[in-house]
Amino acid sequence: MMLSGVPYASAGVLDEGAERYRPYMIEGIGSALAGAQALRERAAAGDLAGAKKAWISARAGWERSEVFTTGFVPELDAKIDAWPNADSGFHAVEAKLFGAGQTDVDKDAAALVEHLNDLHVKLKDMQLTPQGLLDGTVRLAYEVGESKADGGESRISGTSLDDMRNNIAGIDFAYHTIFSAPLNTADGKLDEMVTTRIELLEAIVAAPDLPHVDIPRLRRASEELVVALQIASAKLGLQRPTLEAQAR
Amino acid sequence: MNSSWLRLAALASGLLVVASLGRALAFPVDGNQTVLPTRTELNEDALEKPREVFQSERAGVKSYMVNLGDLAFNSPSILGDVARQAGVSCGTCHVNGVGNAKFFMPKMSTRPGNFDVTGPLFNPKANNLVLDPVRIPSLRGARYLAPYGSDGRSASLRDFIRNVIVNEFAGPEPSPAIIDAIVAYVQDIDFLPNPTLGPGGRLAGNVSQSERRGEALFSKPFPHDPGLSCAACHAPSAAFVDHQQHDVGSGGLFKTPTLRNADFNAPYFHDGRFDSFDQVVDHFDSAFDLALSPQDKRDLVAYLTAVGDGVQPYERDGAGATLKEINDFNLVLATAIPSGDKAIVALAVDTIGQELRELTERYPDRKNTSVSGGAQQRVMARNSLKELVLTLRRIDIAVTEGRSADAATEFRNYRYLMAAAIPALLAGAEPWSLFNQDVHDQHYAALRQVMQSKHLSH
Repeated sequence: MMLSGVPYASAGVLDEGAERYRPYMIEGIGSALAGAQALRERAAAGDLAGAKKAWISARAGWERSEVFTTGFVPELDAKIDAWPNADSGFHAVEAKLFGAGQTDVDKDAAALVEHLNDLHVKLKDMQLTPQGLLDGTVRLAYEVGESKADGGESRISGTSLDDMRNNIAGIDFAYHTIFSAPLNTADGKLDEMVTTRIELLEAIVAAPDLPHVDIPRLRRASEELVVALQIASAKLGLQRPTLEAQAR
Repeated sequence: MNSSWLRLAALASGLLVVASLGRALAFPVDGNQTVLPTRTELNEDALEKPREVFQSERAGVKSYMVNLGDLAFNSPSILGDVARQAGVSCGTCHVNGVGNAKFFMPKMSTRPGNFDVTGPLFNPKANNLVLDPVRIPSLRGARYLAPYGSDGRSASLRDFIRNVIVNEFAGPEPSPAIIDAIVAYVQDIDFLPNPTLGPGGRLAGNVSQSERRGEALFSKPFPHDPGLSCAACHAPSAAFVDHQQHDVGSGGLFKTPTLRNADFNAPYFHDGRFDSFDQVVDHFDSAFDLALSPQDKRDLVAYLTAVGDGVQPYERDGAGATLKEINDFNLVLATAIPSGDKAIVALAVDTIGQELRELTERYPDRKNTSVSGGAQQRVMARNSLKELVLTLRRIDIAVTEGRSADAATEFRNYRYLMAAAIPALLAGAEPWSLFNQDVHDQHYAALRQVMQSKHLSH
């Protein structure tokens, strides 16, 4: 929803940007779905290495898409990415494949495929609001700054750094596809500041492995990005993003 | 009810606390790509924390220096890269100034409660290639307990603290102001009061016969060396120390540890080799050929337990305790912001912000499958804490850019939130937080179950 008094042209530009985001979102979830289907097949064939590879591929598509999943489909998000002792979803499968080294994941994988498919079907007609996408971008930017000293969310597979890189790639794409141009028109310096912070995050997570990610620097950059995006929201005629879905 | 019975009941109560600590933890670092070695136990999930008593709060309030020292003590940023990456601070090992008896790190510890400060992990340049861990000591009453270090190598607390930061943990050279502040903080940590101890360290009040006999034995000259007695080194009138190093048959010269509050300082000896006073007494009996009878030993243990007691050694962790600590840290900001002290503001923002982020995770998000109920309350608590973190960051940015008025405005807003809105929101969500024993247990049981899968195939 746009705030009153906002120039119509700006609202139109943001809506157009949100529509340009849609193919990226469909591609990301499509990739996650294809990966989940492949992991189910590989696991059924007893191919542990292949199933792990497919899980990582599915995970990449999912993590790139978190900008919108947290805000637009919270119920499916909770099923697909439930944690820690999920009875379905990515982490349930992760524990069996990467933890126990077992391929008897058909029930969990089938549920994952089903949930991702449900989501994929919805994406074509889902109403994408610039506000919701900015909220998601901000929440994910904050989450990226959380300590991963314990190994992070995907600690069993050791792929938390990949999660972070894909999260930041998703933030980068969403920002530059939807918000950068109109913000540049309103406040070029602020647009530059946001871009700089995203680039800084990308540089920090380019570390060779998770233990070498400069966590304090990452946290600072993440918070500075969120602060900048909160300022940007007013310049874009949007409400100030909240840090949790359903907190508004 | 006599005093022995009461002390026994208190000891049983203490054991219950220890037992509950034991039940609550058992959640070591695990997984791939962790900064610290897997199976490192930090005991961060404990719901009971040592109670911290400050000398300055008896008559007034903690000074800016003490609060700054407390802040720095709990900040990983004053230590080297590995510690910073892992989120390890001085406070990780000395929780509220008390030795973390559960701390254990593979290849750096030989048992819970000790740690090799010259090991390979934190500063490879200080590695002596020998696994020689030392007990993590309590800092209660440190100002009375010079020299410092288990072998008493340093007469100066200031020198000792600098050595820990720079050499043992490879931290950058701290500013003199930061070292002074940490010294002020450590020197302000007091012993827990012990009503059983009267003037001169003599037992007072309702004392049992066994404790009285133990007190007499404690001062009795050793049979084969009348110049020695327990009390000769553990001088009751001087916090039960003599500021000297002695060889008591444990492998070298080590300084005399205090016995005050020692009930809560296990494990014992320089390397933490003993779990109990019984073992300590047995060691001295053997090392000095004291020929103690079983009753003598029981009496000595009763005496040591009476001397080592303290009022309310633990307190329940909760949002209130965390907010109180953070509010103390806020006093540092109240001084540093108007003076435009960028370094201290940055230190405070990073440290408080991290504490707030950790507090946020005590309110599980909606993806956490181990918790049900209170979803909206948890959302509101998490959201408000995250907003606080960002308010702090805005303060840091404003001070860095020299916008002092903006920083002051943000700080007013921050304090307002901390005074009213935040405590109410956190209290509202507490039943569904990890501060609730049941929720806590469910959450860690779930995590443990998941992490166990990692070990099924190994």
